[in-house]
Amino acid sequence: MIRRTHPALSAWAWLVYAFLYLPIIVLVVFSFNDSRFGATWAGFTTKWYGVLFARADVREALAHTLEIALLSTLVSTVLGTLVGLGLWRYTLRFRTALTGLLVLPIVVPDVVMGVSLLMFYSFVRQGLERAGWTFDNGFWTVLLAHVTFQISYVALTVRSRLAGYGPELEEAARDLGASGWESFRRVVLPLAMPGVLAGALLAFTLSLDDFVVTYFTSGSGFSTLPVLIYTNVKRGVTPDINALSALLVLVTVVAIVAANALLRPRRDA
Amino acid sequence: MKRAALLAAAGLLLLSGCYRVQKPAQAQPGAAGQATPVDRGDGKTLRVFIWSEYIDPDLVKAFEKANGVRVVLDTFESNEAMLAKLQGGGAQYDLAVPSNYVVQTMVRAGLLQPLNKSELPNLKNIAPGFLNADYDPGNVYSVPYQYAATGLAYNRERYVPRDTWAEIFGPEDRHSFVLLDDPREVIGAALKYLGFSANTTRVEELRAARDLLRRVVAKKGFQGFDGGPGTRNKLLAKTVDLGQIYVGDLLIATEEDENVQVLLPRQGTTISMDTLVVLKRSPNPALAHRFIDFILDARSGAQLSNYTYYATPNAAARPYLDDFLKDIPALNPPAAWLTDGRLDFIGELPAGRPQRLYDRIWTELKSR
Repeated sequence: MIRRTHPALSAWAWLVYAFLYLPIIVLVVFSFNDSRFGATWAGFTTKWYGVLFARADVREALAHTLEIALLSTLVSTVLGTLVGLGLWRYTLRFRTALTGLLVLPIVVPDVVMGVSLLMFYSFVRQGLERAGWTFDNGFWTVLLAHVTFQISYVALTVRSRLAGYGPELEEAARDLGASGWESFRRVVLPLAMPGVLAGALLAFTLSLDDFVVTYFTSGSGFSTLPVLIYTNVKRGVTPDINALSALLVLVTVVAIVAANALLRPRRDA
Repeated sequence: MKRAALLAAAGLLLLSGCYRVQKPAQAQPGAAGQATPVDRGDGKTLRVFIWSEYIDPDLVKAFEKANGVRVVLDTFESNEAMLAKLQGGGAQYDLAVPSNYVVQTMVRAGLLQPLNKSELPNLKNIAPGFLNADYDPGNVYSVPYQYAATGLAYNRERYVPRDTWAEIFGPEDRHSFVLLDDPREVIGAALKYLGFSANTTRVEELRAARDLLRRVVAKKGFQGFDGGPGTRNKLLAKTVDLGQIYVGDLLIATEEDENVQVLLPRQGTTISMDTLVVLKRSPNPALAHRFIDFILDARSGAQLSNYTYYATPNAAARPYLDDFLKDIPALNPPAAWLTDGRLDFIGELPAGRPQRLYDRIWTELKSR
């Protein structure tokens, strides 16, 4: 028998969902508003989507955002997973301190992180200039900055995923004749996988919408979408940005639905 | 608040002066600043750090075509954010567009190079009242780009005010209003209403402004503080009678509804000048000078204003302005206002007591 939910409880749940989704719905609706300022409803139009596709700066920023997000997620997932495994597997002398250091990039305010990276880069640049080298902030500095904060998230999710398992699983695999690589590949990694994927997803999202750190570590001529959108605030965000956000929401929804369909446990297994 | 955090970040960077990259031998050309600048970069790419939607893309294209170069525009959303990024030294820009009150800060931080006037023949187009201002005597480092006066905006379908700050600061409480979310603008307007300078450091004048503002924010009509776009939308939607706003931010809305209008109160008001500066680390200072001179051209100046709806300091540009803009008094304050003390550039405050007084008034208003 299915117990009915108390009406007050379901009303509350609806309210929570409304709170979460109403702003997004408003945003999507206003991307079809025939008014530049969005103060009032001035009729239906799709012209902002045309305006959006004609904007070279938006296209360029979108490309940068995706390049950085994909590449930094790849790098930080590999590095973070290794850190997480290391912390789980070995009894290190300063394990508590090391874990603490991992949490630090998560709790430190973005501004502090951004400014310290900016200072670090100019420190390095100063040294390189003595040797007759120089570099501009841009793709690589942003990529490194993103990897820096992403590693922590991946490492911690991997470690907490494995926290319930002891070292005996790996020992058993070795007893049964698996090599070091085989026991990693067939026992440890499959166990850690949900944590790895969750960490990667987190890292990807964080990179995608990071503004503060990116703003400080990017150089001239390299802009990501969050930076582009945020700097528009001064004179008011234009509806083509609404259109862009609506498209991003659409892509995200499609991706989530597709992922759910693909990851659903197969019946024939 | 984000702005405060960025300010703190900028301060941090200032303190870390030791990190600033010292340019070795090839430093900026001639300390006197009159030697012809030489491009160390490729001379083909100009990098400009500017507010968003503050230049007509067609103007940029015209410059690119005429000179066979590429112009890269990056945008910032506050002077503080721009300053923090430039002080970090990571980004190589040729030109930036700071507001007048940060020009001296940038000079002291060693971020700017003196302009070479012989490369800027069009500087003669700028109205004399906008040259040689307190924020940069002799225009050693900066030339005026566009300016915004702060005005009183309304929707004439809802309410038409008289041309006085009394509409907001006066004793009667019949109309709803929004104030700009900016300490210097709000306190400055109150000071102008009282007949003082918007940059005053006199304690008794600031006390008078504080007492006045306490009463103003206690009015029934007070609808809070907001930025330009927010206030503009409230006026378009006719949900408020009056708004304190930068003239340019309001005028752009006339594209959609010509009933929204703005006026400059007769007591005078605050103005803020955005300027063009060449950065010390600019790889292409010669190209940067060429761009500045291009902007100072009469037709370019008019094209800028026709696009941004901000006022032009370029006297020669006036005839080329769209007719619609020519007729707006708020965009063309009488020349006398510049000299009779009615238009005050929002200036840098001396650190210490005056600065703290402004801060304290603002904190009190916001935490009410």
